[in-house]
Amino acid sequence: MTYFRALDPFPLESADHTTLHEFYTRLGAGTLTTTKCRGCGRSAWPPRGFCAECGAAAFDWVDLASEGTVHAFTVQETGLPAGFEAPRVFAIVKVDGHRVFTVLTGAEPAALRVGQRVRLAPLRVADDPKGNPRWLPAFEVV
Amino acid sequence: MRRVALVGAGVSKFGVRKATYRDLVWEAGKACFDSVPGVKPKDLDGLVVGSVMPERTAFQSHISSMVAEALGIRPSALSARTEHMCASGTVGIRYAYAFIAAGLADLVMVLGVEKLNQPVADEAVLNMGTGVDREWEAAFGLTAPPCFAFAAQRHMAEYGTTEEQLAMVGVKNHTHAAKNPSAHFTKGATLDQVLGSRMIASPLRLFMCSPITDGAAAVVLASETRARALTDTPVWIRGTGQALDGFQLSSLHEDYAHWPALKRAAQAAYQMAAVGPHEIDLAEVHDCFSIAELIAYEELGFCHKGEAGPFVAEGRSDYGGDVVVNPRGGLIGCGHPLGATGVAQAAEVFVQLRGEAGARQVPAAALALTHNNSGMGEHVVMIYGKEPA
Repeated sequence: MTYFRALDPFPLESADHTTLHEFYTRLGAGTLTTTKCRGCGRSAWPPRGFCAECGAAAFDWVDLASEGTVHAFTVQETGLPAGFEAPRVFAIVKVDGHRVFTVLTGAEPAALRVGQRVRLAPLRVADDPKGNPRWLPAFEVV
Repeated sequence: MRRVALVGAGVSKFGVRKATYRDLVWEAGKACFDSVPGVKPKDLDGLVVGSVMPERTAFQSHISSMVAEALGIRPSALSARTEHMCASGTVGIRYAYAFIAAGLADLVMVLGVEKLNQPVADEAVLNMGTGVDREWEAAFGLTAPPCFAFAAQRHMAEYGTTEEQLAMVGVKNHTHAAKNPSAHFTKGATLDQVLGSRMIASPLRLFMCSPITDGAAAVVLASETRARALTDTPVWIRGTGQALDGFQLSSLHEDYAHWPALKRAAQAAYQMAAVGPHEIDLAEVHDCFSIAELIAYEELGFCHKGEAGPFVAEGRSDYGGDVVVNPRGGLIGCGHPLGATGVAQAAEVFVQLRGEAGARQVPAAALALTHNNSGMGEHVVMIYGKEPA
């Protein structure tokens, strides 16, 4: 046996693994969604199966805007985890009042500014062990 | 509640160690027992071990029992492991403090240990991603540097804090570490070296960041009766506070240069100790990144909000200033073996308040503060005194 490591950094997104699977299905189809509590009507980011405000555990899926604005960003040039390439632009994007942590893909770091408009650009990452596609909610500069 | 004091403390050498997890436990345990000749392993009735990710880095869980056996401790009142990411060590000290204060234990070792370095360097960084939210943050490749970079960018935009001021924290702490033989880095650093070091996450450069470090530290806490029997110079726990704002970046204070949870944790500790920030002689603060130390000055009340840049630039956080911050070299100079850090901070306070810190002794040190965090929204503060009240 040779030296190996095993830490899959991506979520298990399918219905076999998470009650939030619809988020990923819709993301793969190009739509950003989140949960809205059936008890108090609050929507949250990220999606959640238990309402932090009223304690209800029932929710509906609601669509979020496909565009947002950059609230904060940084360019990581070195020291990234195994499997991730530098430079990598990490950002907080404001979407419908929520702060969404994400990466900006295809961005020219020197030209980025706080307040810049960005749009959803779902990022396909490694398939799960059964070959199902997996997606993350990344953004790109408009 | 009963009074509680530190009666012993010791640290291993911090660095990229040619040593196993257990080697580090032995080294810190030996140093700690050596500091308090009246305490042998079997005299302890409790053990708390602060450690974050031995399951990943040493393929080992069941940590408290493993450490107890390694050191010959037979806990009869308390045995536990604390995991609270980078604050695990101080969270462990709070457990031991509470048990002793309540009368449930009398003599407890708190040991923090981490073996972070791995044969493949970027694997060690990948492991650090377990400390942020896996599904919504780590999946993107996030580890700590970008989080604190957001705070630094915001502090610069809001208050005019400069890269030079961020670098001065690195210079100060590397310079302090040069007087600490246990530190990861012992060569010091100049402003040009810090500003010329490679960029990690803008605007944070290598020498403004704590490195990935192996190490361990241990302290022994005792009830007042046991403490007075063991030593003429116990170091008293005077106050403690902990507060959390949130875990994910999405739920922290919207302005990442403001850390309300640290202010609340500090207020609780100051109130319990019945002291104010201007009475503190030395502070071990959680400078995982230079911006964290600057924001800590403000939230701990050493200076007003927004004034941390000038505070470091004017030498007010160095020897001869208002308060000596990070005399042992901080996380930037000593390194940051997660679970060991909070315990190493307490170990520094122990030698400083007993006047045993040698070349890095803070003159006439009587009151000390430690600050340990596990992200920008989660903070623990302890206050220690040479006198019990």
